[in-house]
Amino acid sequence: MGYVAVKGGSDAIHHAGELVEFYRVKEGTTPLEVAQISAQLRLAVDKVIGEGGLYAPEYAAIALKQAEGEVFEAAFILRAFITTLERRYYAEPIQTREMFIRRKISASFREIPGGQVLGPTRDYTQRIMDTAKVNETLEDMKAFLQKFESRLDKNHLQEVTTYAKVIDLLKREGLLQSVAGDEDRTLKDITREAIRFPAPRSARLQMMSRAETGGLMALGYSSMRGFGSDHPTVAELRYGTVPLRIKDPGGRIRYVGKIAVTEAEMISMKKQSKKGEAPLYGIGYGLCFGQNDTKAICMGILDRTMRAPDPSSPPNDQEFVLYHTEGIESMGFTNHLKLPHYVTFQAGLNNVRAAVKRSTQNVVTSAPTVTTQPAVTP
Amino acid sequence: MIDVDFILCECNLEALKSFVESLEGIYQTLVSRDPSLCTVMIPAEDSVEGQPFYLGEALVTECEVVLQGQVGFGICLGDEPVRCYCIAFLDAALQLNDAHYDRIMQFLKEQDALVTQAHVVEYNHIQRTKVDFKLMEQD
Repeated sequence: MGYVAVKGGSDAIHHAGELVEFYRVKEGTTPLEVAQISAQLRLAVDKVIGEGGLYAPEYAAIALKQAEGEVFEAAFILRAFITTLERRYYAEPIQTREMFIRRKISASFREIPGGQVLGPTRDYTQRIMDTAKVNETLEDMKAFLQKFESRLDKNHLQEVTTYAKVIDLLKREGLLQSVAGDEDRTLKDITREAIRFPAPRSARLQMMSRAETGGLMALGYSSMRGFGSDHPTVAELRYGTVPLRIKDPGGRIRYVGKIAVTEAEMISMKKQSKKGEAPLYGIGYGLCFGQNDTKAICMGILDRTMRAPDPSSPPNDQEFVLYHTEGIESMGFTNHLKLPHYVTFQAGLNNVRAAVKRSTQNVVTSAPTVTTQPAVTP
Repeated sequence: MIDVDFILCECNLEALKSFVESLEGIYQTLVSRDPSLCTVMIPAEDSVEGQPFYLGEALVTECEVVLQGQVGFGICLGDEPVRCYCIAFLDAALQLNDAHYDRIMQFLKEQDALVTQAHVVEYNHIQRTKVDFKLMEQD
């Protein structure tokens, strides 16, 4: 039996929406400014733009406010917002080698070009509750900024520079595995053409770049725990901004702004398929909007696992990984379970009642020592 | 060689707006296409194999302005109607290459210096987080 929809309920749905708003505002607190959300909930905004698939931090902040901080819902709102807009341009490919580096680390090499730069991170710190945040004032923030600015000797500043990548060093040494000749390298756009399996790598990377962080982490972690084929090391993890350029209607290449991205190159040794074959390294690649180490790292892990010849483990199976890490779809399907299934459930219920009745009668007829009782219908 | 669009996208919006307002009376101005929102799809490449793929879309604002018959086009990231109009205005004004060209270039140079300085300061703050971990066996 197919799903039978319901109708009506408009008033109750409208009132439920009002009740949501009531619980958001009833305490009479100061309304959150969108600029505050953008600045002070930066990492939540980054998740929303990454999972919504639209680089629009100011709109992601509005969505977060509207969704009361629920990142799934905010990403859903952002993705719905995209459909109201015309896509008029395709940018020039971004070049992460041009990145203005805010963070750049390697877990594989201690010495990397330009050194290890921790950048804005809570790594290596204890997660102790900072209760002083309760009484934070604007003056506290200004005082911090003043102190922070005073740390620099403005007369001795280094010039901004870009850095060679760790993987370039390995490439030059000939230690990286070359691309398999049978790899499908076509460029697909999964927002215009539904994904089909086996999917080309471009489609897999696109889907993961807008996948849900927790989903990618769960499957990436499962691979490292032995349920997949890869347990790599971070060759290089970068976070920073890259310039975005487009060709305008007159054909000129124009700078339009900078976007913040996190990039991970995950390195692991390739299993030797033939005896005597050189044990080369393979790289898994992760790239996503905003600052999100976990997402980029796990994308890099799953990029590798989905290229494994044996798809029997979940992280190695393209369909398993890509469908189940797609946050909007997963959330939508999960939440559809709340929609009325009255007719389908009642049909099943009738069948179960009939089967129970039959089995009761069978038991009665095949057990002559028991006194017969009429079947009870609820 | 300065990148005009880079400066106009990155400079202080109030400074840009004031400067363009100071030029508006000079030219016969027509906004031929009001600022409007659209998206741009962003291609990226895997840094090892050069595999192209689409990273996601970005929200941009675009606008077209005609000054003395010269068309100027502006586009920038985000919902930025004022900045976008200013970029289109100055794009047209620079293409006119008239008596105000040097004044515009002077403004751009000043803003370029400010943007560059802000980048240098941020970069140096970031460099303070550079780390040189020692192995446990080392002193």
